[in-house]
Amino acid sequence: MEFFSFGNIIVYIDKFIKFINSIFFVILIIGLSFALIISPVDYLQGDSVRIMYVHVPSAWIGLSIFSLIAVSTILNFLFKIKNLFLFTKSLAPIGLLFTCLSIVTGSIWGKPTWGTWWAWDARLTSMLVLMLFYVLFILTLKYFKNNENLTKILSILSIVGIINIPIIKYSVEWWSTLHQPASIKFLGTSSIHTSMLIPLFLMLLVLLLYCALIFLMKYKTEIIKIKKQNIKRL
Amino acid sequence: MLTQKIKTRLLFLVSIILITLSFLIFIYLNLKQNILYFKTPSEIFMNGPIEGNSMIRVGGMVKKDSIRQNNKEIRFTLTDYEKELIVVYSGTVPNLFSEEQGAVVEGILNDKKYLIANRILAKHDENYMPPQMKKILKENAK
Amino acid sequence: MIIEFLKMGGYGFYVWSSFLVVFTFCTLLFYKTRKTLKKYEKEFAKELENLPAEHKKRIAKSSKVISSILASQNKLS
Repeated sequence: MEFFSFGNIIVYIDKFIKFINSIFFVILIIGLSFALIISPVDYLQGDSVRIMYVHVPSAWIGLSIFSLIAVSTILNFLFKIKNLFLFTKSLAPIGLLFTCLSIVTGSIWGKPTWGTWWAWDARLTSMLVLMLFYVLFILTLKYFKNNENLTKILSILSIVGIINIPIIKYSVEWWSTLHQPASIKFLGTSSIHTSMLIPLFLMLLVLLLYCALIFLMKYKTEIIKIKKQNIKRL
Repeated sequence: MLTQKIKTRLLFLVSIILITLSFLIFIYLNLKQNILYFKTPSEIFMNGPIEGNSMIRVGGMVKKDSIRQNNKEIRFTLTDYEKELIVVYSGTVPNLFSEEQGAVVEGILNDKKYLIANRILAKHDENYMPPQMKKILKENAK
Repeated sequence: MIIEFLKMGGYGFYVWSSFLVVFTFCTLLFYKTRKTLKKYEKEFAKELENLPAEHKKRIAKSSKVISSILASQNKLS
């Protein structure tokens, strides 16, 4: 447990933030030039396919952060691990941001390709439900005092919300939707040409680094908040 | 390993899971039809008589060489390779709307083979590739 | 050539607005997060100042958290 003391964590956080700061802009510029200039147009959608390079990573990040915070909330509820609570608290806003961004960019992409900003199909609706769960989660974190009840409410939200995650993932296969099926599968080949996969994964890397940066800053803030309360006892 | 406290918490979580799942199944059974964003022409054909003037969404492929356009309206055949449906529409169509591409039409069924649309959406598939690649694929198919 | 690039084959508005939305909101969240972090670091350093000198010296040596905060405070001033 010594390794996970706040003192050790904060030293690593400082190192990580420095590291990300040093490489972030280089990767951002490489990613953007691939996404906007080097990558080819799509045979059907033309240049509008470039919206994919921000839309798809945002959606992935939104989904995976929710899974992460849901699992760590449940573990925190069961075993009372303080670090996990701080972890959840620092990650939730980033997840909400990227879920909203994926909905907005998806809507901007939908207009020129499908011909509508929004459709109440299963994929889009379940994504909206995910956003609502994020909002509920963050509101609960904000307006409830940190005690047994808070973790209880958060774990209820996590359980109900995490059931939604496979629904989002498989909605395009189970039901008829306007949204196209997944192009990239866990197993098997993807139906995106390699020249378009490179910018997709580069932009994913850029956004992941950004997430890590925000997460570390928020985590550090939380540690300082706790230390500030205990300053007299040090 | 598991103390009594943790067991109680676990029980709480399991009951939440069961309650949520039963709710979900209940909702799913009730909304089964509404979850589907569109029906296929075959489903329209199989269903009972058409009820009144209710809006309906039908999805399928736009049949090859079926688009007829004049300055007032556009007329095409929507197919799921089993049954076909003639669609009439006046208005602008999305950029991606073309023959042998997916489309979802929203409108009122006149009879089981004829639909007056007031909205057309284009549906594309999950394949993304540069134009040259598509050309090669097409030539290989021949 | 640049005009061609901005037009994005007719999809310019959609492509640029989606990238701009992502960029704008990411920047906003970044600055908001950094502001809060700086605020708490400052408050913490201030409270540390108010402690008796000896107590301060002792904990500044023993706590990595405090030395990290003090380091970033010194960088600012």
